[in-house]
Amino acid sequence: MVTCPYCAFNNKEGLLFCEDCGRQLDAKDPSATLPTRKVDENFDNFAMRATWGTARFENSSAVVLHIRDTTTPITFIPTEQTILGRLDNSSPVQPDLDLTPFGALDKGVSRVHASVFRNEDTLMLMDKGSANGTHLNGQKLIPHQPRVLRNGDEIRLGKLIAHIYFKSSVGI
Amino acid sequence: MDFSINPYTELGVALNATQQEIKDKYHQISKRLHPDKNQSKGALVQFQSVNMAYEILSDPRRREQYDNAVRNMDRAEKSDFVLRLTSSKRYVYPFNEPQVVYLYAEIFTEESGTQKAQQREREAKLNLTLVLDRSNSMSGTRLDRVKAAANQIIDQLSDNDYLSIISFNDFAEVVINSTSLDNRAMLKARVSMINASGGTEILKGLSLGATQNRIHQGHDFVNHLILITDGNTFGDQDQCITLAQQLILEGVSISAMGIGHEWNDEFLDELTSITGSNAEFIMNPNTVQRFLNDHVRSLANTFAERITISIAPYADVKLESAFKLSPRPHPLSKDESVIRLGNLQHHKLTSVIFQLELPGDMKVGFRSLARIAVAGDILDNGFRHYQTSSEISIGVNNDSNAEEPPANVMDALNKLTLYRMQERAKEALERGDTQEATRRLENLATRLFEHGHEELAQQALAEARQVANTNTLSENGRKTLKYGTQALLLDSGTTKL
Repeated sequence: MVTCPYCAFNNKEGLLFCEDCGRQLDAKDPSATLPTRKVDENFDNFAMRATWGTARFENSSAVVLHIRDTTTPITFIPTEQTILGRLDNSSPVQPDLDLTPFGALDKGVSRVHASVFRNEDTLMLMDKGSANGTHLNGQKLIPHQPRVLRNGDEIRLGKLIAHIYFKSSVGI
Repeated sequence: MDFSINPYTELGVALNATQQEIKDKYHQISKRLHPDKNQSKGALVQFQSVNMAYEILSDPRRREQYDNAVRNMDRAEKSDFVLRLTSSKRYVYPFNEPQVVYLYAEIFTEESGTQKAQQREREAKLNLTLVLDRSNSMSGTRLDRVKAAANQIIDQLSDNDYLSIISFNDFAEVVINSTSLDNRAMLKARVSMINASGGTEILKGLSLGATQNRIHQGHDFVNHLILITDGNTFGDQDQCITLAQQLILEGVSISAMGIGHEWNDEFLDELTSITGSNAEFIMNPNTVQRFLNDHVRSLANTFAERITISIAPYADVKLESAFKLSPRPHPLSKDESVIRLGNLQHHKLTSVIFQLELPGDMKVGFRSLARIAVAGDILDNGFRHYQTSSEISIGVNNDSNAEEPPANVMDALNKLTLYRMQERAKEALERGDTQEATRRLENLATRLFEHGHEELAQQALAEARQVANTNTLSENGRKTLKYGTQALLLDSGTTKL
């Protein structure tokens, strides 16, 4: 199996171009075959996001969400669909991860803003049609179109900025 | 004596091979191709020719007869075509899972310089039939351009050629009875009288076209029918297909040009691919003249007709897809026992790329992948059936240092991926998965931008939006993407000969 270094699609061995995104699969690219990198325990180290992390998300991995200007990171295990949003009792759908304590209302986070879910051995981020949009590494997502998350990625929900890290062993 | 096959090349033995060598080689090949061992359709066809070759060579009397007959034939002036096979990798690593290997087959003519010069004067003789749609939708610019294009063809053909022209709507009528080109002015006058009205019934046009084409049909002619239409035909498609199947047996090929976006591309693709030809998408009627002109010129440049290729992957190898790269790129059916490739032109390469799947856990050492046979009718002073075949092997070893596949194969696959991406977007849409289709089209747009095909990329992006909003592709956009990505392959797949 050759995992596409760009979109993490699993291609059959010997293919020269990714069946999913169409980019050239270069066997020499190390990120395609490297095992999961151990998450740096020091989450204050923001320099990490300058380097591209792995896209591989093991079955046992957990997600660590570090929201900017807060001290404690949030750790959660993604279910079939973990909805990120703002708790509002009048809304029919409740988020799995409530961002209200982090100033979600002021920062323009929608009630159902985005979702995070597993896809074989990658983690995907999808905008759920939010009012202010979801950005991944500064790039605006197209609503309802999943994108692969990498270790160290910066996501922005409205004006709320957070970094996503993968934690390989579940020790919560 | 039957010269349609060369028993020596068929078995891959030397001219002075001993009976024992011939026998051993025969056993080796037939073991791989035997219907009990190999289920692929191509293997069956090749098994028959190998048997035929063995029947000749195993009998000393028949072998001598063959040898003598070949010696007496004037081989000096004859030229044949050559088949060359390349695989994307020379060595593979024995993974414990299946892996993909590409096979690149090139067919080209082997002609010397003097023959090149002679050929300039002796073009292939054409027996051409134009079947023109004159339904109401053709009125105005479209019909005017088609008429102008037909007039140009009348000028372009040489005196030895035959031409007939049919026009059709709900009925078909003969505009020009199959004739040689002695009175061009009169022929043009007839063409100018075509006017538009009524609907589109392709079968009527095609059958009358077939009748006209048969008048001067001959083995030493390139018998060809060109259908130009802008509409969809209803209810008679199956009969059209049956007619095409019959025509190819008579040695007539059909190509089609679809103007605008209302014609049925799947139907015309099927109709023409039966005869080894293809359909072209003409968005702007102003280009019909150029398309038709190029097409007729390539017909006149024919070296061999009715080229077929058959591939027999060995038992544990699977054929995944086949695509013709040049001269006109289009997908091929992998389920046919012999795949028709149309005409082979002088000094022009015909090339096909096959995607094969190798099993996991292969033994280290050299192994054969597949046997490929190519056949065709060469048009030099009459006609002569010729067949050639070749086998491709690959090394399996544990330290296969990653070597780059040949640049032309890389380039072709790169562009083929783009074509596949739009196919997959369509498949997703057919499954009703709109999000997936949108995502794939956007991916395609990104790749097209990267490759510098801005117009196509814009089209892909527009279609992505169209799909997101309406759950369907626009007819125009779908055809533009399909034929546009196919056309990207035009300049790849051609190597220096």
